[in-house]
Amino acid sequence: MEAYLAAIAAIALIYVLLSLGLTLHYGLTGLINFGHVGFFCIGAYAAAILSTTGGMPIVVGFVAAAVLAGLAAWPIGLVSLRLRDDYFAIVTLGFSETVRLVVTSERWLTNGVQGIPGIPRLFEGLGVGMPSALAILGVLLAVNAAAVWLFFRLVKSPFGRMIEAIRDNEEAVRALGKDPARFKIRVLMLGAALAGIAGAFYAHYIGYIVPDQFIPLVTFYVWMAIIMGGVGRISGAIVGSLLLMLFLEGSRFLRDVVPFISAVDMASVRIGAVGLALVLFTLYRPQGLMGDYTRR
Amino acid sequence: MSLVLADLAKSWGGFCAVDAVSLTVPKGGLVGIIGPNGAGKSTLFSLVSGFLAPDAGSVTLDGADITRLAAHERARRGMVRTFQVPREFAHLTVRENLMAAVPGQSGETLRGLFLRPAMVRVEEQAAAARVADTIAFLRLDPVADTPAGKLSGGQKKLLELGRALMTDPALILLDEPFAGVNPVLVEALSAHIRALNARGIGFLIIEHDLPALTRLVGDIHVMDRGRVIASGPPAAVLADAAVREAYLGGSA
Repeated sequence: MEAYLAAIAAIALIYVLLSLGLTLHYGLTGLINFGHVGFFCIGAYAAAILSTTGGMPIVVGFVAAAVLAGLAAWPIGLVSLRLRDDYFAIVTLGFSETVRLVVTSERWLTNGVQGIPGIPRLFEGLGVGMPSALAILGVLLAVNAAAVWLFFRLVKSPFGRMIEAIRDNEEAVRALGKDPARFKIRVLMLGAALAGIAGAFYAHYIGYIVPDQFIPLVTFYVWMAIIMGGVGRISGAIVGSLLLMLFLEGSRFLRDVVPFISAVDMASVRIGAVGLALVLFTLYRPQGLMGDYTRR
Repeated sequence: MSLVLADLAKSWGGFCAVDAVSLTVPKGGLVGIIGPNGAGKSTLFSLVSGFLAPDAGSVTLDGADITRLAAHERARRGMVRTFQVPREFAHLTVRENLMAAVPGQSGETLRGLFLRPAMVRVEEQAAAARVADTIAFLRLDPVADTPAGKLSGGQKKLLELGRALMTDPALILLDEPFAGVNPVLVEALSAHIRALNARGIGFLIIEHDLPALTRLVGDIHVMDRGRVIASGPPAAVLADAAVREAYLGGSA
């Protein structure tokens, strides 16, 4: 039971990192990023490849994951930030699917659909069991804390003020002599780098990655998390991610109480449960649990 | 800062919204544009400020051709615009709205933010002092820490002017500054514009409220169906038969 809880906690903290990145993109700047999983995928594969076939220390993989995911965001920013919101959403969704197709087809690098097995786990030296699980949770917590600190620094700064101004009215920003694209590219890269780090944690935690783990559903799980928690708030990203895990994992136990459901059906029921929660949230608490940015 | 528009034109399909408009705002001038709805005034503003690209003609600022410059680059050269429908940063307070408009902040770059926090602090203090002056000048003190989305229409117009002022402009383009503003505030706003003009800031003002505008500006241009049909001092222009026909429907 402890091991199970530790596993849920680790995945939840990885989702918090993803949610913080998306909060930076959407909640603060208004970028409708429907391809967050693409950055997550790049981070996971970078860390996995470097630590297995690359034979690099794990830390190098983490740095590479952040840098590569951040750099991947740069061209997207350049080509699409002048697009309208809805087009940006489509471009990012296309980007994440492109990333998935690339890791599926480039077998020489990613081993295709068979994926990359045997990714070293963090703190293997401590042995399998509670000590290493706790150490991993400790590192995840520390990285999350650092991300939250960075976030606060950003939000409470002239930079943060400007990205919120862009979210509220981009044309007025242009009229005042500031180029919104410059800010949006940086925001996009920062949030993507966070997602890349989340991907590295994921790869080293699960120990085995395949392209199918990086479907658009992951992006929308993160969206659900920030919508349930409260858009544009750091606390919203954290609470929303924890809530998402509660729904995803809690619905797992539904099988014990609901009769006539096979394990395969259960997967669909879980997604249905999260969808229902999202519908109820948008109906009865559209600002999310923690309230959104409109409440200051 | 002088602004020269030469033969500016913009069509939408077959409809000519702005048709070969030429006019000049001299350095420190106070110039008005009037015209009925659909005369092309706001389109003209968008062409001048860089929010639309003209089909033909040129925009020259202090002798430099800026026809192809992006909107934010024009603003950086000292020519800022406001909008007919105020575009406040609704979730930022009045103070933050004005702070966001201050140019050249190193705290708006990631490098400055994380590597030079002391410099950012000093700049923020200087900016805050300027913002406080502007708030006092525009008498926005009671709402200084209110989110801008909650202001009245008139207060939002003042805020738009304030934000433009924070950029240290040499020329301000005002798009219907008096629309939806109560008469008392119209007088206050006019007084602010006169005071700023006395400090050397030029204005080009589009306005529907004829009396308020004619009391304010030195020169007036009348637009109708995309063209400038009359120009000159307000009294002379308003006496013009074509203007009365187009703008006042011949009845006044």
